Amino acid sequence: MMEKEIHTIISKVFSIPESEINDESGPENIESWDSFNGLVLVDELENHFKIKFTISEITDVKTVSDIKRHLKNHNIS
Amino acid sequence: MEKSLSEYITEAKKIDDLKFNKKLKVAILSSFTVNGLDESLHVKCSELGIGYRSHIAGYNQYNQELIDPESDLYSFSPDVTFLILDIRKFFGEYFYKLHTISDSEKKSFVKEKVDEIKNLIMNFEKNLNSKLVITNFNIPYYSPNGIIETKMEFGLHEIIEKINEAIRKISKTHSSVYVYDFNLFVSKFGEKNIFDYRQFHMGDIQIALNFIPYFANDLMGFIKPISGKNRKCIVLDLDNTLWGGIVGEEGFDGIELGHTPNGKAFVEFQKELLSLWNQGIILAINSKNNVDDAMKVIEEHPNMILQKKHFANIQINWNDKAVNLKQIAEEINIGVDSMIFFDDDKVNCERIKFEFPEVLTIELTDEPSEFASILKDLNDFNVLQRTNEDRKRGEMYSEQRERKKFERTISNLDDFLKGLEINVKIKKSNEFLIPRISQLTMKTNQFNLTTRRYQEEDIENFTNNPNIAIGCAEVSDKFGDNGITGVYIIKKDERFWMIDTFLLSCRIMGRGVENAILSQILLDAKENGIEEIRAEFIPTQKNKPAENFLLEFGFKKQDNVWIYKLNNEIKLPNHLKVEIE
Repeated sequence: MMEKEIHTIISKVFSIPESEINDESGPENIESWDSFNGLVLVDELENHFKIKFTISEITDVKTVSDIKRHLKNHNIS
Repeated sequence: MEKSLSEYITEAKKIDDLKFNKKLKVAILSSFTVNGLDESLHVKCSELGIGYRSHIAGYNQYNQELIDPESDLYSFSPDVTFLILDIRKFFGEYFYKLHTISDSEKKSFVKEKVDEIKNLIMNFEKNLNSKLVITNFNIPYYSPNGIIETKMEFGLHEIIEKINEAIRKISKTHSSVYVYDFNLFVSKFGEKNIFDYRQFHMGDIQIALNFIPYFANDLMGFIKPISGKNRKCIVLDLDNTLWGGIVGEEGFDGIELGHTPNGKAFVEFQKELLSLWNQGIILAINSKNNVDDAMKVIEEHPNMILQKKHFANIQINWNDKAVNLKQIAEEINIGVDSMIFFDDDKVNCERIKFEFPEVLTIELTDEPSEFASILKDLNDFNVLQRTNEDRKRGEMYSEQRERKKFERTISNLDDFLKGLEINVKIKKSNEFLIPRISQLTMKTNQFNLTTRRYQEEDIENFTNNPNIAIGCAEVSDKFGDNGITGVYIIKKDERFWMIDTFLLSCRIMGRGVENAILSQILLDAKENGIEEIRAEFIPTQKNKPAENFLLEFGFKKQDNVWIYKLNNEIKLPNHLKVEIE
């Protein structure tokens, strides 16, 4: 359930098909995932799940699986 | 509610700007990160049919861009430039330690900062003949002085207020400079929402990302009038729009207007509408109703704020609302694209959206307390300057109704025109007339030979150019004063004069005023030993009313130019009086 929602948001922010997104996706392999779009993604996730990440959480994100791990800390799973 | 920033960023990639006739060049200079603003403005412009091109200055590069005459900004030559500054960078370290320096040091600090802004503006004006919009500064809720902030000379808040005041003064004396009140933007949404310390530390983002679309929306308040996309007329439904309930069912005493909480909300909405009417916005009614029931409320209900005289046109019947709306546009003689339609009924709104997508259709909620703020959130009524003609517009439209009545009592058009006792005063352009002349070139669509749009700065240049004749016509008749309603701009050559612009406000079309103005231009040219007058007609979607004017006046077409040989006799209309000032 949550995975689907996260993938939908990532696909929207980086303009890529959901099918191309997996746990290993990140700035390394998604071209449009630059530092600004990374912040846009954080903003979208925060607004969607009504949470606030810490700066450490945000700067720590290297892949989609990192996002899922941090969302778990905010009781989103 | 705005869409999210990522939606704007995605949508902006899909826009084909080439399909739009109207073009706009926008420059954004900012001292902090405003990524996403460009995309948001781009999408919002495309929604209005404006082809958008932008120049985004590098991060915090505004000084270089404004000071260097060879900068990318100046070679881009934007129609409008937004200069977006933040207080932290503008004040530097002083932002945190103003309270540690002496009063006289604070005074000279303020002066230095104001001079810095003045210098930037001076450079802009030297290099560009277009609009500059500068933001003022947010007054932060926090002050290190705490509760004694107001007791001391030059507290942090007072210093920022002083600088904001200086910026306001500059905009009063420089016609091309406008202020975007960023402080009010922050107070509208709250500093704790707009300023997110995390985004600030991670990327010097000082307007939180989810508020960038709202910020862009506010800046559209400048872009709309610059592109001639502002609205002039509000068309209103009655039941559940101007009052609560359905008068045909609940009766005169059953509707909600005043007294009850919902009734007060409708009164508040009407007061805001009246306030717009006082600024020159035209009001009209489009309602499915029994005309007697509805008019009784308008004319007799003690809590009605809007009176019959405030409506330039009233359509109360059982016809299709789209037909009524078209009727209103024709009778008032304005384009449907300058209209806003308010209705509480979804079906009516869909009907208008389908038939007239260029109308801004607002579907009201079932919560009347929201109506006033829905109206106030529209930034479609902005004008770049407010002229006397704007303030008097409401009266002028009631006079127009009287003229129509007079027209119906007289069957012969010549008799009608003679009976109007029209007086045309032709005036050469001067500093007092420049705003109105510019305004007419910006918004006149129908009787306009060339539809060239000129900003105030352009009109000022023409006025000072000895090779250009520029003037306007003030028209009055026995029913009242129509104000300045005609403009001509002529480029003079030794042997011929070329009509660059010739336009007439739709309010006075069809009364021979155009012939009176043109024949005066011809007489003037003849006296100056000119052989011929040249003119062109550039067709647009809207200027059909001017299509045959040159031909009917006696111009002959050669290739793409219309020519009038001045050895021909010049016919003067005899039903009106012409004065030259």
